[in-house]
Parts: sequence; C-alpha cells; structure tokens
Amino acid sequence: MDSRDRDKAKKKQFRKKFLFRKKKFCKFCEEKIPYIDYKDVRLLQGFTPERGKIFPRRISGTCAKHQRELMQAIKRARNIALLPFTAD
Amino acid sequence: MVNYESIFIAEPNASDDEVAAFTKGFEEAVTGGSGTVLKVEKWGKRRLAYRIGRHEDGNYTLLYLNCPPAAVKELERRYRMNDRIIKYLTVRVDENIPDTKPTEAGTASEDRPVETLEAE
Repeated sequence: MDSRDRDKAKKKQFRKKFLFRKKKFCKFCEEKIPYIDYKDVRLLQGFTPERGKIFPRRISGTCAKHQRELMQAIKRARNIALLPFTAD
Repeated sequence: MVNYESIFIAEPNASDDEVAAFTKGFEEAVTGGSGTVLKVEKWGKRRLAYRIGRHEDGNYTLLYLNCPPAAVKELERRYRMNDRIIKYLTVRVDENIPDTKPTEAGTASEDRPVETLEAE
C-alpha cells in the first residue's frame, strides 16, 4: 500500500517532467530571419549567456541550419570586438 | 565583381577628420582596383568587447564594397600599413545588402530571445 502510493507519486512527477515541458522552437525559423547578421549584437547576445559561450542547440532549440549560421555570426562578431570571447 | 562588407576599427583618440582621411584613402584603394564603394557607415566610438593592445574603445567604420578580390587585398594591405587601425574584418556578402546598424550592448537581458530551460 505504502509503496504503491510512492510509485504513483513518482509516476506523477515523471509525467510532469516530460509531458508538460514547453515545446522548443527555432527562433530564426519562427521569425523568418533571412540572414543572421554579425553586426546585430543584441540578437547575438541572447545566444551568448554570461560567460560569452555559444548557447547549445540542445537548450536553445535552434535548428541545425540556423545554429550553423549563428555560430558563424558570433565568431565574426567576436573577431571585430563586438562580442567577447570570454567574460572574466 | 563581388559584394563585400569591410569594417575597420581606428584608435579611439583619432579625430573625426583623421578617420575621414583614412576612409578616403581606403576608398581610393577600392576605386583604384576598379571597384566601387556603395556606402560608408560611420558608427563612431564604441566600447570594445575586449581590450586590443592598450585600447578599451574603438572608432568603427563600415564600408560596403563592390569590387574584384584583388582590390580587397590592396585594401587590407593598407589597413595593415596604417598603425592607427587596430583591427579590421572583411566579409563577403552574397544577397542584396542587409541594412543594419549595430545594436547597443548590455540591454539584452530583458528581451532575451531564448528561454533558459531548467537543466535536467
């Protein structure tokens, strides 16, 4: 009895974790941004959190194509000192 | 003929006149190589994201070009010759030129486009 209750609770937790997660989507596909510009610092900054690293696709949900373009843009921006390579 | 975007950073203590003179010289490098300068955008003084040498700030200028690759070579040679240019970047652009100004850094926290999902 006791253990069954615990199982139920566990299952509920499991469901909560996996069924009701917010769906990720690619920002660039959604907003139909045709070209990721390295000069658009504000846009790129959203993908380089505190340390200045590039936000992984796994978390941001960006699609492969756009992640590639994003990476290129961020690297260009870094080269010309619009974005930091590292923050402290 | 290929479209390029070329951006250079002059020393922060270079006056507007000096930067204008540099820009003129660079434009000549392009026109001399049978290319055309489509547009010049002056961004002015901006904070650098990291120190370059002893500089914390830089004077940015952006050139939109349509020229043969040889002209870019000459342009970059001139960048390197000028010791008041601290950094430059030339990028090839394929499609019709996107018109963007640099957005100011440091205000991204509110309208951050990506939502950080909690780590598993």
